[in-house]
Amino acid sequence: MNGTIFDKLKILAESAKYDVSCSSSGVGRRNNGTIGSSDAAGICHTWSADGRCISLLKVLFTNNCVFNCEYCVNRRCADVPRASFEPEELAQLTIEFYRRNYIEGLFLSSAVEISPDFTAERILECLRLLRRKYGFAGYIHAKIIPGVSPELVHAIGLEADRLSVNIEMPTSKSLELFVPQKKPKEIFRPMRQITNSLIERNALKGPGSMFRGQDVNSPENYLTPGSGMLSADSRQLRENQNCSEGSEEGVKAIVRRHPRKEVFAPAGQTTQMIIGAGGETDHQILTTTENLYHTFKMKRVYYSAYVPVVSSPILPDAGTPPPLAREHRLYQADWLLRFYGFSVSELVDDAHPDLDPEVDPKVTWALRHMDQFPVEVNKAPMDMLLRIPGVGNVSARRIMRQRKVASVKYDDLRKMGVVLKRAKHFLTCSGKYYGGNRFLPEVIKEQLLEADDGVQLSMFDTADSRKAVTGNDRLSL
Amino acid sequence: MTDYLYDGTFEGLLTCIHFHYYNGKASGIYVRNEYQPSMLQPYLEVETDTNKADIVYEAITKKISSYDLRRIYRVFKSDDAEKEKKILDYVRLGFRLGGKISMMHGNPAVFEIQRIDKKVGNEVHRLKGLIRFSELDGGVLYSSIEPDHDIVEFLAHHFCDRYKNEPFIIHDIKRSKALVAYGGDWYVTHFTKEKVSGISADEQKYRDLWKQYFEDIAIKERINPRCQKNLMPARYWKHLTEMQ
Ligand code: SF4
Repeated sequence: MNGTIFDKLKILAESAKYDVSCSSSGVGRRNNGTIGSSDAAGICHTWSADGRCISLLKVLFTNNCVFNCEYCVNRRCADVPRASFEPEELAQLTIEFYRRNYIEGLFLSSAVEISPDFTAERILECLRLLRRKYGFAGYIHAKIIPGVSPELVHAIGLEADRLSVNIEMPTSKSLELFVPQKKPKEIFRPMRQITNSLIERNALKGPGSMFRGQDVNSPENYLTPGSGMLSADSRQLRENQNCSEGSEEGVKAIVRRHPRKEVFAPAGQTTQMIIGAGGETDHQILTTTENLYHTFKMKRVYYSAYVPVVSSPILPDAGTPPPLAREHRLYQADWLLRFYGFSVSELVDDAHPDLDPEVDPKVTWALRHMDQFPVEVNKAPMDMLLRIPGVGNVSARRIMRQRKVASVKYDDLRKMGVVLKRAKHFLTCSGKYYGGNRFLPEVIKEQLLEADDGVQLSMFDTADSRKAVTGNDRLSL
Repeated sequence: MTDYLYDGTFEGLLTCIHFHYYNGKASGIYVRNEYQPSMLQPYLEVETDTNKADIVYEAITKKISSYDLRRIYRVFKSDDAEKEKKILDYVRLGFRLGGKISMMHGNPAVFEIQRIDKKVGNEVHRLKGLIRFSELDGGVLYSSIEPDHDIVEFLAHHFCDRYKNEPFIIHDIKRSKALVAYGGDWYVTHFTKEKVSGISADEQKYRDLWKQYFEDIAIKERINPRCQKNLMPARYWKHLTEMQ
């Protein structure tokens, strides 16, 4: 247990790596400490051999766990080397990495050593040292362990930029099966607390452009364990998660407003779930996602393709390849929810419970709604431009802008960033159609697959997926 | 039509643009000591004139926009072989169209400038992440880079904000220049490797910790070197601690 810093870093980085969230974007804060700034664009410092962007030092505080989650390398019964950082040790390591520009900040997660509160207190001490003793103004993402007392959640939120409570599994059934010690109730309580703390500060932002034009900080969005949770969306969430809190009927949401100066998790709240461990359909997964966005107004939901690291009779066998393609499609679908005005019911339903592995979900939608295409780029409103496969937010805005001064010509579209090999099948430019001569979904799908030849196989090489995963806003689906 | 030759400074280029309007059209604009004269093409060595440069500077700000001025400056700092002529074409068009020029994505002159500007911007953004500092004896943070474009000054704002109370140096080895900064103030100066002292006592330890961390976090089931190379071009590796 008392190894060198090299040993500890090895063990605690190794344990943290099966965790997808590498996003440090979403916060724009100029430096008000002595060292550090969090750049809103999100900065990659390097790319690991698996092609993931590294911007944060991602470690567990300790892997010495008293819990026994089925899928986890660090569960109590596992025979693995154990280590725990000292608060001072990790604070110093972080600041020294940061000074050398290796990292943009710290992503701190942890196993449960002794008890959730014991661990959270040591994490809090580390974060306070970092912020106060070392004057660190870089980015901190702290994970909240279910079961931590509200006071500690609050105190950690005052030091961290972003908080996350992992939902772990897409449904309550898998949660019960794989994560017996984490109860839905204990997961949702801190989630709710964080959302409410943000509302109190008028600082809740919500996912992407999903709530554009609405006041997400209004008292109706304030979550109480009883009646406040009973909006249509939260009821679904509760059913899906089987999370009844013992209703306190008649409790009315009273929002305590806080002075602005006390900053609480300015980059908001995220969560993460594991994909491909239980038997969920994409429909179930995305419904949970949509509910999380609607209820808690989280910034993001992350998906982590399950990598079999432990052998278990109820989990996929070791050697089963992680469902990366599926994870990728889910990120694309998630992107459509947050930035393109899609709802889950448009992407998957009972007849099509899973996303089409062959083409991206935006194409799938378009092929099922051929009556709405082709779209005339010189006339269509913004929300319809966004529905054209191959047109992203940036190119749609460019089209709108150019339309004010001159009509958009087909050749202009490529320069505006439109991916024509996809888009040409779904649009007209001043009345002219540039796709093939048969406007039929199966024909177009065939042509798209041909044009994409090979791309599907090495999907993680494409700029699109990179951005979907790293959180860059310019993804064009 | 005459080729105009200038001293390689931004003011020099702006002076050439002034000449284009008042002394006869430019067939091309080139840096004096890189120019290959030909028998058939007349050329003129233009002395940099700050008054003329100021006039053009003001005109671009007023008649086009300050955004476009900044954009032109970034393109000027690129390694594009014909950037001067491209800037001239853009400015000429800008004087006719005004501030809306940057929206004319379809125009070839605008597209070119947009493309080069983006390349410069991308490298700046990339280097914000890819620069590695070493702590020198005495605590100064030092980093060496070999960027495609002449961009050290574009990094000043970001790193001054990051290191409020620490002196740091970003050394462009290719161009023998460096950004030197402390406490929010910075300047760009001629710089060579000889000026760098040895590394501090702890430096090697943190380099080793970082290298170890970098190797440990790759998920071996997902190894994808091609993807890694796409995202982090090999020409930057020389100065990356974790790639040594
Ligand atoms: S709480 Fe569960 S998932 Fe977390 S480290 Fe412990 S066993 Fe693993």
